[in-house]
Amino acid sequence: MLLPDKMTKILIVGSKTRIKETIDILYSLEALQLIDFSSEEEGFTLGTPLPVASQASQRLLKLRAAEKELEVVDKTLTEKVLLSKIEDEVDDVLITLEAEITGAVESKSSILNRIHELDASKKALEPFTALPLDMDQYKGYQNLTVFTGTVRNDPTAEMKGALDRYELFTSVDAKFVAVFVAKSEAAEAQRVLMQQGFAEITAPIGNGNPADSIKAIESELEALASSLAEASEKINLLRKKYETFILASEEHLSIVVEKAEFPLRIGSTEHSFLIDGWVPQKSLAKVQQALQSQLGDDVHLEALEVAPRKEHIHPEEARAGVSEAHIIETPPTKASVKKPVNMFSFLTELISTPTYGEIDPTIILAIVFPLFFGLMVGDVGYGVPFILLGALGLRKCKSDEWRTISTMLFFGGIWATTFGLFLFGEAFGMHFGPVWIVEPGQTLAQLKLQYPYGTELSWSSMTSMQLPSLGVLSKLHDVKLLLYISLWIGFAHLFLGFSIGVYNETVRHGFKHAFFHKVGWIMILVGGAFMLLFVVDLLILNKPVGLDDLRAMIGLGLIIPGVVISLVGEGPQAILELPTLLSNVISYTRLAAIGMSKAGMALAFNMMAIQMIAPEGGVLIIAAILVFMVGHLMIFILAVIAAGIHGIRLHYVEQFQKFYIGGGLKFDPLKVVRKYTTERGEKNGS
Amino acid sequence: MVVEIGSGLIAVGAGLAVGLAGLGSGLAEGPIGAAGVGAIAENPKMFGRSITMVVIPETIVIFGLVMAILLWIKM
Repeated sequence: MLLPDKMTKILIVGSKTRIKETIDILYSLEALQLIDFSSEEEGFTLGTPLPVASQASQRLLKLRAAEKELEVVDKTLTEKVLLSKIEDEVDDVLITLEAEITGAVESKSSILNRIHELDASKKALEPFTALPLDMDQYKGYQNLTVFTGTVRNDPTAEMKGALDRYELFTSVDAKFVAVFVAKSEAAEAQRVLMQQGFAEITAPIGNGNPADSIKAIESELEALASSLAEASEKINLLRKKYETFILASEEHLSIVVEKAEFPLRIGSTEHSFLIDGWVPQKSLAKVQQALQSQLGDDVHLEALEVAPRKEHIHPEEARAGVSEAHIIETPPTKASVKKPVNMFSFLTELISTPTYGEIDPTIILAIVFPLFFGLMVGDVGYGVPFILLGALGLRKCKSDEWRTISTMLFFGGIWATTFGLFLFGEAFGMHFGPVWIVEPGQTLAQLKLQYPYGTELSWSSMTSMQLPSLGVLSKLHDVKLLLYISLWIGFAHLFLGFSIGVYNETVRHGFKHAFFHKVGWIMILVGGAFMLLFVVDLLILNKPVGLDDLRAMIGLGLIIPGVVISLVGEGPQAILELPTLLSNVISYTRLAAIGMSKAGMALAFNMMAIQMIAPEGGVLIIAAILVFMVGHLMIFILAVIAAGIHGIRLHYVEQFQKFYIGGGLKFDPLKVVRKYTTERGEKNGS
Repeated sequence: MVVEIGSGLIAVGAGLAVGLAGLGSGLAEGPIGAAGVGAIAENPKMFGRSITMVVIPETIVIFGLVMAILLWIKM
């Protein structure tokens, strides 16, 4: 039940005339994971695509081109398109699409080209508007050389000194110049200009005043902009008109092509085909029956064997006759967990897919992770918003990441609220509990015993009502006890991890292997737990206990043989792992520590807001409310990060290391996913 | 609040134990984490392995924490 579904290896052999039907059936069953045919087997070659493939591919190519030109993007359709409609209309639509798109796209791109041209010539003309010359005056001289361009410094003075026959025009800001100089002095003129940081800008061919030309260009650009808008609008209209059909038929044709090219993945001879694959054991009958009833004797299914959970073959087993075939292929992993447990599977996948022969740890994550989260938050004030936020996220979010975070918030919030009410009895870092009011016949000491936090800031003291004292522990007053409890949670969690490890190893490699690799560690862990009891008495409670104490003897009696067993199983590495186990257990103190830090921060903000700012009255009450809100919002956000990350980390790092191997192949059966199209009971037509 | 010098010094010692150990762990974890993120960017399947590598130096701070708790209990 906790292991992934059992897989059966099957072989389907059939006559090539029925290959298309076989493919359709297998895709519709969604139960077969194909093992790609390796062409090494004698007598078999790779199959050839079905005849429909080439036509469908051609259509697909055209569709994708149209899709790209019209910039069609994925979207959700209100209504799915019928397959029969696609089959009937796709060719006609492709022809009209081609004609209309080509026209529209071409006119759009020619407009765009013209706009680029005009922009370029406008840019070239712009500098020349600074000079009082027409464009035709820059060209066509026999004895003159013309220099036009920008300069860094005004060259007037230098030119006067160096040249005789020239004329210089400068723009008002003296940054743009035009020099007309006799050919004989051209070289000299160039030298002078270069010294002034001259960069040539060639005058474009043209005539008339450059400013007028620019005006003309601008008016043409304006006209073009409106026709560009028109062309774009036309394309938009085309997109709106054909979008649904294009998306739907692209999807459909992709499926057709995938199915038609399916024979490339299987083996075939001249007249028959051969499909190798994995089927979940419980779907085997369904597959068998479907093939039998629809194709009769033309196709034969042979169930080869149920994949064994064992990983590799021990030499002794090999001698006993276990076939080598067992180790050749790894069966895929089909998780058997159902909702709501599988809402956490993203967290497992983040590490790795479980292998075929091990327990899917998602179930532990689903139970313990929210519990840890709730324990670390442990506050009604944050728990309830977490539940609401989580529920909202589960309703709205689509991506796996956000759904997982929402799941964590929802279930973690439920535990946070529960612990907040009944374990810690607090909301927003304040206990509910009653204030001390000494009544006749009662002493303060008695009250203190009943409820130790009577003088503190609490919901009772704030609202002047005597609320009942819920909760049995306080995050800030019972720190030592909470740390101690969290160590025991650590022992229990790690014990669970090792126990699953024993089971997995037994399944995969046999009990002998499990004994040397995991049972030794369990003994060390349990012995450690006894030692903890002993050490607490010895060091902390300062009781006179010696090594003859029963707990110490049991502890050492378990640890020493445990170390020996692990040494035999894992070698000297086991000794190095011992401190790691100790640090693993102590690592769980974060469960208490994070709750404590939240309570500490909340206390600080509450004191600031309620005891320091609010009593001043007036406007400061608003300031107090602000401090309270901002402070608790900060703690709330930190709680998601701290409790979420540390909760999951205790699984990934501390627990999973004890049993989880991962690296399995996810079961990925042949199937079609239709987002835009529907068969509505009809058989796939093409 | 009057505190004896002795327990004050113990408190300082506990603070140093956990603080310096944390600093050490942080210095060690930083580059590992950076390399781990790089590896995940190239291949998301490295997440599990990276996280295991990153937390290896954490043992140090946990021992610091143990010392701090033992000292705190002596206060």
